[in-house]
Amino acid sequence: MYEEPYRWVEAVGNRRQYLDDQLKEGTPVVGVAYERGILLMTMSKGTPKLYEIYDRLALAGMGHPADLEKLRFNLLEMAHVEGFNRSVSDVTGSRLVKYGITPVIKQAFEEVFKAPFIVKILLAELGQKSGKDGFLTINYDGTFEEKSRYAVLAATSVVEEKMMGYLRQQSIVSLKDAVDVAVRAWAVGDRAQRAALEDGQGHDEASPAPDQQVIDAEGLYTHLRRCIVEKKIECALLDRHVQGPSKYRALEADELRTMLPTDLNPSLA
Amino acid sequence: MGLQGDFYQLLKEQGYVLGSSGQAGTGQELTIATTILAFKYRDGVLVAGDRRATAGNMVMYDRTDKVLEIDRYSVMAIAGVPATAYEMARILEHSFKYYRRTQLQELSFEGKLRALSKLLKENVAAALAGTGAVVPIFAGYDAGQEAAKIYFYDILGAEFEGVEYAVSGSGSSTIRGILHYLNTWGEQPLSAMPEEQATVQALRLLTSAAEFDSATGGVNREAGLYPIIKFITGSGVRMMPELQLRSLFESRVSRSA
Repeated sequence: MYEEPYRWVEAVGNRRQYLDDQLKEGTPVVGVAYERGILLMTMSKGTPKLYEIYDRLALAGMGHPADLEKLRFNLLEMAHVEGFNRSVSDVTGSRLVKYGITPVIKQAFEEVFKAPFIVKILLAELGQKSGKDGFLTINYDGTFEEKSRYAVLAATSVVEEKMMGYLRQQSIVSLKDAVDVAVRAWAVGDRAQRAALEDGQGHDEASPAPDQQVIDAEGLYTHLRRCIVEKKIECALLDRHVQGPSKYRALEADELRTMLPTDLNPSLA
Repeated sequence: MGLQGDFYQLLKEQGYVLGSSGQAGTGQELTIATTILAFKYRDGVLVAGDRRATAGNMVMYDRTDKVLEIDRYSVMAIAGVPATAYEMARILEHSFKYYRRTQLQELSFEGKLRALSKLLKENVAAALAGTGAVVPIFAGYDAGQEAAKIYFYDILGAEFEGVEYAVSGSGSSTIRGILHYLNTWGEQPLSAMPEEQATVQALRLLTSAAEFDSATGGVNREAGLYPIIKFITGSGVRMMPELQLRSLFESRVSRSA
């Protein structure tokens, strides 16, 4: 039924629709660089979404947990075999993404008889110096983008653009800045996604116009307070100051508590 | 899909072979020139090693680091053929990282010991042929039991716990007796010594080994060469800085001051 080119294009188009639909309730992810390294932040209901990949590489994802696991293992295998056979410094995010997993994701996406990966991925790479940190984001169809100061994942590119727009206006130096900006950018994304969902279900009167939403920080905190009733904040760092070759560490609840407004703290329990 | 989190298995699937198989059983005498030692002191475990690498009568290198940090909580001190030993250390390092990252938990201390044992077993043919014998000491912090521990191995991969201390290498026979004497009749047992006292003893032991074993490098003050000494405690692995070693050596070990 897909022999004709037109049918194939149509099938791939359907796939996009299917994947967008699967991802529309996914939790956004934010990655920002600060003076000592990179912060990754998301909210989760229990299953972790932030992972260590290699000495200077961390992964964040949204989508189906089983698909994310499969790709995570792919990355881990490639990174460790390469790091052993060549050297630790030959394991770069760019090589893993360009020659490693995006061809796999693209192939799965276009083989219309097989199941695609229901995922979006953010790979963060800690540079040797401040200012050299980088991000790679990968979409479910295998397209990827390289970014430098910050990167996000969200259900749609419209929401992602909104989050990036918000991040563009912020200045980040310390880890405390990074955490604060990241949770707010996350709220921008999550709020926009929920608004879009409600619009889709015909409840548009409930949500204010998108432009109004983004502006005030207080509104974002209010949204966060509502979210943390059912989810908790998950943060991980690639920290240049961690001793030894592995730079990844989870940001522990105690440390996170000192960086957030006190009324956001129940989320850490 | 590497659900077992076994990096070595993954390497083998990709066609990797550890060491050269050699010709087993040629009966050649094994050369394991070096001195490494580990003992429990007050706060954890001290691991020390000299810096010399030899080939027959020749000194190849005087700056070898034989006390290798495998991860934040474990150290492998190596005696034997360096090529194989370094390779094993690299495999272990990647294995522990790979396990932690895939399984989202640290490999247990027991698991780490087994991993080294497995590598030694796979290396038996090369060890017997005289081209790849490695006789390591593995020391690390066992988070489950909240204690730092010492294990030593034979070339076939059997592991033994060094309850108080362990030694390996060609200079080890010299200092094994001293360790026993110190621990049994010394002013205080090794396990009660504070860090500085333990370091002084380690320096004295390695200097004694160098006195009787040409394949062990002692301290070379002219070249500023001191042994490598590392400590393993609940907060991880730490190395004694050379500056501190120098001052301890000059005030408490050297007799020419």
